[in-house]
Amino acid sequence: MDKITQVQDEALAAIAAAADPEELQQVRIRYLGKKGMIQALMAEMKSLPKEEKPAFGQKVNVCKQTVTEELEKRQEELNAGALVQKMEKEKIDITLPGDSISIGTMHPLMMIQQEIEDLFIGMGYKVAEGPEVEQDYYNFELANIPKDHPAREMQDTFYIDPNTLLRTHTTAMQMRELEKAKGQTPIKLICPGKVYRRDDDDATHSHQFMQSEGLVVGEHITLADLKGTLEFMANRMFGEGRQIRFRPSFFPFTEPSVEVDVSCPFCNGKGCSVCKGSGWIEILGAGMVHPHVLEMNGFDPEKCSGFAFGIGLERIAMLKYGIDDIRNFYINDQRFLKNFDRFD
Amino acid sequence: MRLSYKWLSEYVDLSGISPEELADRMTNAGLEVEGIEPMAQGTNLVIGEVMECEDIPDTHLHVTKTRIGDGENDVYDIVCGAPNCRKGLKVIVALPGAQLPGGTISAKPVRGHESNGMLCALYELGVDKKYLTEYQASGIEELPADAPVGCTDVLEYIGYDDTVLDVSLTPNRADCTSMWNMAKEVGAILERKVTWPDYAGKADCGEEGNFRISSATEKCPAFIGKAVGHVKVGPSPAWMQKYLHAAGMNSINNVVDISNFVMLETGQPLHYYDLSKLPAREITVRDDIEMKMTALDGVEFDIQKGDLIITTGGEPTGIAGIMGGEESMIDENTKGIFIEAASFDGVSIRRTSGRLNLITEAAQRFTKGLEPLSMQKAVDRSVQLLKEYAEADGFEATVSFGIEPYEPRKVTETLAHCNGLLGTEFTMDQIMDVLRRLDFDPQADGETVTCTIPSYRTDIERQADIDEEIIRLIGFDNLASTLPKMETTVGRLTPVQAGRRAVRNVMMAAGLSEIVTYTLVSDDYIRTGFRPAGDPVELAMPMSEARKYVRSSLINSVLECVQYNEAHQNSNNNFYEISKVYSSAGEEERLAVVLDGSLQKDMLHKYEIKGDFYAMKGILMKLLERMGFSGGRIQIIENTADAEHFHPYRSAEILLDKKPLGIFGEIHPLFAKKFSLKNVVYAEISLDPIFAAKAARLRFKPLNRFPAVERDIALVADSPVTAKQMLETIRKAGSKLIQNTEVFDVYEGEHVEAGKKSVALRITYRSDDHTLKDEEIAPVHEAIIKALKDKLHAELRS
Repeated sequence: MDKITQVQDEALAAIAAAADPEELQQVRIRYLGKKGMIQALMAEMKSLPKEEKPAFGQKVNVCKQTVTEELEKRQEELNAGALVQKMEKEKIDITLPGDSISIGTMHPLMMIQQEIEDLFIGMGYKVAEGPEVEQDYYNFELANIPKDHPAREMQDTFYIDPNTLLRTHTTAMQMRELEKAKGQTPIKLICPGKVYRRDDDDATHSHQFMQSEGLVVGEHITLADLKGTLEFMANRMFGEGRQIRFRPSFFPFTEPSVEVDVSCPFCNGKGCSVCKGSGWIEILGAGMVHPHVLEMNGFDPEKCSGFAFGIGLERIAMLKYGIDDIRNFYINDQRFLKNFDRFD
Repeated sequence: MRLSYKWLSEYVDLSGISPEELADRMTNAGLEVEGIEPMAQGTNLVIGEVMECEDIPDTHLHVTKTRIGDGENDVYDIVCGAPNCRKGLKVIVALPGAQLPGGTISAKPVRGHESNGMLCALYELGVDKKYLTEYQASGIEELPADAPVGCTDVLEYIGYDDTVLDVSLTPNRADCTSMWNMAKEVGAILERKVTWPDYAGKADCGEEGNFRISSATEKCPAFIGKAVGHVKVGPSPAWMQKYLHAAGMNSINNVVDISNFVMLETGQPLHYYDLSKLPAREITVRDDIEMKMTALDGVEFDIQKGDLIITTGGEPTGIAGIMGGEESMIDENTKGIFIEAASFDGVSIRRTSGRLNLITEAAQRFTKGLEPLSMQKAVDRSVQLLKEYAEADGFEATVSFGIEPYEPRKVTETLAHCNGLLGTEFTMDQIMDVLRRLDFDPQADGETVTCTIPSYRTDIERQADIDEEIIRLIGFDNLASTLPKMETTVGRLTPVQAGRRAVRNVMMAAGLSEIVTYTLVSDDYIRTGFRPAGDPVELAMPMSEARKYVRSSLINSVLECVQYNEAHQNSNNNFYEISKVYSSAGEEERLAVVLDGSLQKDMLHKYEIKGDFYAMKGILMKLLERMGFSGGRIQIIENTADAEHFHPYRSAEILLDKKPLGIFGEIHPLFAKKFSLKNVVYAEISLDPIFAAKAARLRFKPLNRFPAVERDIALVADSPVTAKQMLETIRKAGSKLIQNTEVFDVYEGEHVEAGKKSVALRITYRSDDHTLKDEEIAPVHEAIIKALKDKLHAELRS
């Protein structure tokens, strides 16, 4: 009996003393192997009296089980240690830069265009489009800009022939949409796109630029609705808390017409260099669709009304991102473009 | 326009309203004031008298004793450099501490002489030299002998106590180029009474004469003239000179000044002729003359047919509405005059004055358009002022043609319509108040109001115009912010718009940056670009050679952009542009992609995606896949169409559903050289067919539960055998068991016989309904190898 206990104690001591998996393997062979000491104990059982055999056998089995369990436990401990050592050797310098993944960008004007599209789509507007090479009829005639108006002189407009030109404003698309609607309301749309005017290119002028115009026509559309709509837009584009200010102005296709200022997002209206101390920044022109424009396009101004606004995308982008020269948009210097490789 | 605060106050009571406040209130009402500038300025000024004036030897300076009051201490030693400084002169003295436009005056010794101030010239007070005589501009101002010494309201005494507002008028408010009309506007804004001079009927004088006027052109539909037998030419009154200065005009003499002053008052341009210098007592307006003409200022002008010309006795004498002729000019000897107040076609005047570069005050007013009554107002007022300031006499009866009886316009508006359009809750009282302020003579009938529009408000035609007047004068401050209450509409992008965004997303995912380049290009860019379907679209009047055509392809613009970036040391210029192009055949939408360098590169971690033909092919294939087109619908074929722009052996044509989309590949070395580029890869494809084609439906494919078996084969084939030929041969021979075949290595060179190449392929066998057994795969695999050998002479590599 004592022999079993002795073997077990010896085995457990050997297991505890094993310093690495190889030593432990030796211990395993010595005690649990086919010619091992525990197997030898089993062999001794044959020589015992029949009545003692069951108790002896049970004791040896317990011993075997205990040794096996301890061995497994020790094995796991040793494995873990070996892994830690292995990993220590795998140490890397985490301060080296990560892979330089070149990510594509959207042009800042397109970012602004998409932002405007999405915010108006959210309010139920559709996005209209139209040709850049446009008919005089849509660009001027239907927009209530009569034949002899100075804007229609060669000095201001890129004419291709007397009836064809490069559109001077996105209003041309509005007129196409109004005509297409054949007097049916409601109309809710925005129409972004490139436009062209005879300007010499400099820091603030460009013969090619982008606009996005908005148009709503329906029953009981009011000037207050225009204000609310633009306030919503200003808050989305320039941050919450923006206010809108109307100043009277003139456009041939709207009456009343207004210039629209937004409270300066850089100083919260306190006055800074961006707003030239006034607390306000002019962002767009707008107004109620001129009744004559409605009539020419087959709408009855007694039954419906509408508002329209026109945003200069360059102006918005220049304000939002602090760009000081409009030519940057069309030079496409990679260093400029890469400014816009993030969400805004 | 330049608006004199002082002049304006002759018609409207401006007491208690500073020029700054006036500017704010005008701006808020739609007349934007862009600048405020005093006519003259200076503090600590006083009128003095030079009591003694001694020259300082060897200098141009004088040392004076100048008296500025009656007290003992009121005599100052002041050094003055002006040549006209002399004893007895009444002068403007700036005392020490005086703030002048040029700086602050201090007491300091000059050449050893004490100097306690400065004797001033008008320009030193900020008066523009263009309003001064040469004499005034070369010395100190000489005040009249009776100037009150000690008077400190110097600016008022000299008549320059005025401030000019620079008002930017919107095109609809041309009426405000008239001081009288501007006064009405300001009166309405400030809610103050406006009084015009009592001019009406003043020209109703004189006997029937024999002066005849007529027009041979529709472009002069009306004319009022009046002969004045006697005038006395001399200087005009000081106040009139100052008002002309404030308006930016010079004083000539009383008669000419009156013609300008009345134009500024009424908005009606006038011309006064020297009656004795006209070859005949007759004026005819014509527009069918071609000649050279010398105008008032001595410059010669080319007159073309269509220009409105004043003729008298058959002789041209002036460019109508723009400038008078030299021969009939008013001068100091003029005894009698003829007054012309005519209506000339604004478009014609604009074109002539623009062509001749004669943008005069008169031309500008004709261009903006006149009101129906201004001719009569101007003649009446002329007669009134000529009598008063030029001893005018010997009038003949007024002559005229084309003057129709004037009927004022009436516009009716309702309270409901006004509030309905504006989204306001104005009351009848508020509306009536505004309309009264505007002199619209509103007559209310319940909630309907009828306005009689003054003649000068030609911009007020209908209800919406009335509504604008109401909101701008009540102010936008109280306008509520609401959102339209209307039928629900669905906001969304059209499929094409959504498609464009998808293209942009694929391009960005590939690491490309979007560019936007100019639409207008040079003749060269059209000629050397891709040939358009129709003729190029040319501008009728380009601004420059570089911007002459609407582009019909993007290639030159995009390569120019890469060239710019290379020149600025930017490398790996991988860009895309989405743009319309045009030709007489119509509009087309294109996508341009350019690869210049590596798409991805990292030296530290040692990897690179080169921007080569295969990178471009990968991007385009991925684009079409993302747009919903599977491989079978896309064809990449040899480029046999364009060896001008592309490397003939490293470019391909891409087709969708057998329709050509465009060409991509390496730019031809010679074409690349034009932009100093090398190895640049370019694609320009039409987006319209992509947006128009029907994309495959996006469907979930059940996951295959059975294992795949991969078999690699290495072949040696003749070099010209293409990957496509091998893949197709394998596909045909391989039956349904093949899930995928991939080329994973191509090698030519050492260890491979010349003219041959080694190609390694991985064939993946898989069934979607059972686990494949070797016995199933073996015969198929053998058949594939046999087919490769039989059809392509491709042998297994030993």
